[in-house]
Amino acid sequence: MLSLPALAKAASLAFIATGTALVGQGVWIGAKAEIAQVLLSRAWARAIDGETAPTPWPWADTWPVARLSVPALGEHAIVLAEAGGEALAFGPSLLTASAVPGEAGISVIAAHRDTHFRFLQHVEPGQTVIIERTDAPPLAFRVTGSEIVEAARSGIETGNGGPARLALVTCWPFDAVTPGPLRYVVWAEPVGTTT
Amino acid sequence: MTSTRRSRGSGSQGGFALVLAAAVFIVSLFLWTEARADTPAPPEAGLVRLSEMNESALLIRTVDAGLYIPAPLVATDIALNIAGPIVRATVTQRFENPSDAWVEGIYVFPLPADAGVDRLRMQVGDRFIEGEIHERRQARRIYEEARANGQRASLLEQERPNMFTTSVANIGPGETIVVQIEYQDVARLADGTFELRVPLAITPRYIPADAPQFVAEGANTPAAVPDAHRITPPLMHPDDEPANALRLPVSITARLQPGFEPGQIASLYHATLVERLGDGDARISLADGPVPANRDFVLTWRPAEEQRPSAALFTQTLNGETYLLAQVLPPASLGSDAPRQARETVFVIDNSGSMAGSSMRQAKRALLSALDRMQPGDRFNVIRFDNTMEQVFPAPVDATRENLDRARRFVRGLDANGGTEMLPAMQAALVDATPEDTARVRQVVFLTDGAIGNEGALFAAIHDGLGRSRLFPVGIGSAPNTYFMSRAARAGRGTFTHIGDVSEVAGAMDALFAALERPVMTDLDALFPEGALSEIWPAPLPDLYYGEPVLMTARLDSPASSMRLEGRMGETLWQEDLSLSDARPANGIATLWARNRIRAIEELRYQGASVERIDAEVLQTALDFHLVSRLTSLVAVDVTPARPADEVLTARDVPLMVPHGWDFDAVMNRSPERQHRAALDPALIDRLAPGAPPAAAGDGRAREGLALPATATPREWLILLGALLALSGLAWRVAQRRQPAC
Repeated sequence: MLSLPALAKAASLAFIATGTALVGQGVWIGAKAEIAQVLLSRAWARAIDGETAPTPWPWADTWPVARLSVPALGEHAIVLAEAGGEALAFGPSLLTASAVPGEAGISVIAAHRDTHFRFLQHVEPGQTVIIERTDAPPLAFRVTGSEIVEAARSGIETGNGGPARLALVTCWPFDAVTPGPLRYVVWAEPVGTTT
Repeated sequence: MTSTRRSRGSGSQGGFALVLAAAVFIVSLFLWTEARADTPAPPEAGLVRLSEMNESALLIRTVDAGLYIPAPLVATDIALNIAGPIVRATVTQRFENPSDAWVEGIYVFPLPADAGVDRLRMQVGDRFIEGEIHERRQARRIYEEARANGQRASLLEQERPNMFTTSVANIGPGETIVVQIEYQDVARLADGTFELRVPLAITPRYIPADAPQFVAEGANTPAAVPDAHRITPPLMHPDDEPANALRLPVSITARLQPGFEPGQIASLYHATLVERLGDGDARISLADGPVPANRDFVLTWRPAEEQRPSAALFTQTLNGETYLLAQVLPPASLGSDAPRQARETVFVIDNSGSMAGSSMRQAKRALLSALDRMQPGDRFNVIRFDNTMEQVFPAPVDATRENLDRARRFVRGLDANGGTEMLPAMQAALVDATPEDTARVRQVVFLTDGAIGNEGALFAAIHDGLGRSRLFPVGIGSAPNTYFMSRAARAGRGTFTHIGDVSEVAGAMDALFAALERPVMTDLDALFPEGALSEIWPAPLPDLYYGEPVLMTARLDSPASSMRLEGRMGETLWQEDLSLSDARPANGIATLWARNRIRAIEELRYQGASVERIDAEVLQTALDFHLVSRLTSLVAVDVTPARPADEVLTARDVPLMVPHGWDFDAVMNRSPERQHRAALDPALIDRLAPGAPPAAAGDGRAREGLALPATATPREWLILLGALLALSGLAWRVAQRRQPAC
């Protein structure tokens, strides 16, 4: 039978082990997001060279479709096709149901608020968002405003055509610890076009 | 010594670490459950749900779905224009958006149950918006599109015939919004006195836990209260409301042109100033300035001379058709010599929680005085209900002294608490053990505040179970659900009595019993010359109790010169010929006719009419007459431009643009100290949901739209929790090491 001190020792070790594992898991999420972007930029280079749907690593279920940057904030990221549920862990994803950026309708790009789209909270109306595509010259979008919506009832209607618009989506509020039902949407429209 | 101290010290360190670790676990568990919880947590201080409103308020949407912040209200003005029994009311309210964000507001307020709401106007900043009538869903679509496009818009919807909401989209930072609603109403004539009720407070409604299903023909089986989330009661008793709760100050003015020299003009619950203008005209205003919106405003007036107004006729010609309003009082002598008939009376008293306080005292007093009116030969029973039900006697008993005493003891011992499960009590009261007993009339006197949400199921029960019984609802309290009561009275072919104050109990119960004990006028009919009549509402004309006038509206295909009213009181026939050339022209008669038509068609629902036909008829009538109804809403989207395109707007231009008929003086230029400017708690401003600013044309947000993915990782949380856990384990280990072996 275990003595009390031995039990306490085992318990404290268990605490340390569990704690370290949790920290490791948290760090891994961040690291995965960073490393993936490095691998993705290589795949992006292959995509520009004409390769169709180049996967960044052999077992990946997604591929880069665009490169998003906000020059004013010095932020950039490779946007993934939302082919599998895992894509968001590696980079911002263009939702399959939405339009290709620059084409008629609304393009919705989503990313995690604590990794790739952490900078979204600093995006302000008037700033420029550049979208580079593999098959077209870079497109400039101007941020028109932002709003907060419910995830289940975003009111974002895709597939209806209309003027080209860009919606950058992440979780809201930014400093929350637990997942919530609200999303922060930054709206942008193509520069030079009138709606 | 030292070692002991150290040992104790390290022991407490180890304990601390253990407690810390445990706390981390508990906190994480708590956060986990909170994130997972589906049931809404009670709103924190300063936030409310739409369903919890029991008084008018402008609510601003917050980022938390379903939770609102009540906007501080600056002023409300109600202007009543009374010509004869016809009332045109203009309700003007001024609100301010206290935040730095574009917001959407939702405004909940009561109106009289039988009022015809036909106009909505709104001023937002320097914009004027005029409402248009549309089918309800289409109106909502128009509103939502305008909201998404950054246009200012407003939408007036009917939640219940006596409860409305106005949504206001795109209110700019610091902007002032003025909402103006107009409705048509008619003053009630009873015992020679006209009475006009302006509801200011909303009766909180009780939604039965397992409400029985009411199935209308042709409908899917809707839950008894499908819109419970919009009309559910507050959990807080008014007495417990925080002292700093925002109250709605209301000022009321009335211009009275009764058509005769008025004698006493009185307001039942508010101190008023009456200014006589000659020719029978009078102007009425509140004596002590604005009042809180916590009890209904009731104005009464009667002629100076004892000659009672026996007939009042009004006409309006609209689109080539003539509309007629007739209010005719049968002679008082009629049937007064008839002998009193023995009766079987079932008294039902509501002792639910909403009745607590003065309402319960009034109800008990009313019931005790009613028991005193029972006479030998009568039979009676008493039923009380909250969420349970209890009958004093298993079946009605003779009104002997012992039985009455037993009932009185029972009534005196009643306390108000629990829910309001009215349906079983109503059904029990309508059970008639002796349906063929013609020696006695059967009456059900129902004392309640009507704080229920399942009206539909109750109307169906009344319609199905009425038989030869007659139902007499007695409304108790400062804000009874008059919509439910007056409709229940019509469905139960009885009368509705209202008691708003303990001092009224004796008078109101006397009047009720005078009506109960006298013969009833039945078989009422209105006859017009051949080919003149198109439609009379209500149809058929309801039975008349003592002191009640015939109140009818008609549409005539061609102008007629005369009409005849006839009815039967016991064995006596009553006939009265009226000359329509005496009718005075008045506005709003067509609106009242249309409102009566809608009401009558809605009530056919409980007589088995098909839902599709009812809906089609109601929709068409409401659209034709610009009326807000169950199926139609008024929507306003910037039809009046803020300023002409070729003119530069300055602040001075604004007053010139006030449309004719807007009485802004009452609300805009009131002396500043009267204006109640409650500041919004700064802590709440962060919670305001930003509306779509005009520049950012978002798509219609309320349509479901694309479901957005979860975009938060537990990364930070994992690191934080893990670090805390590891550190506390480490601290514990260190403490163990230091602890010397014994």
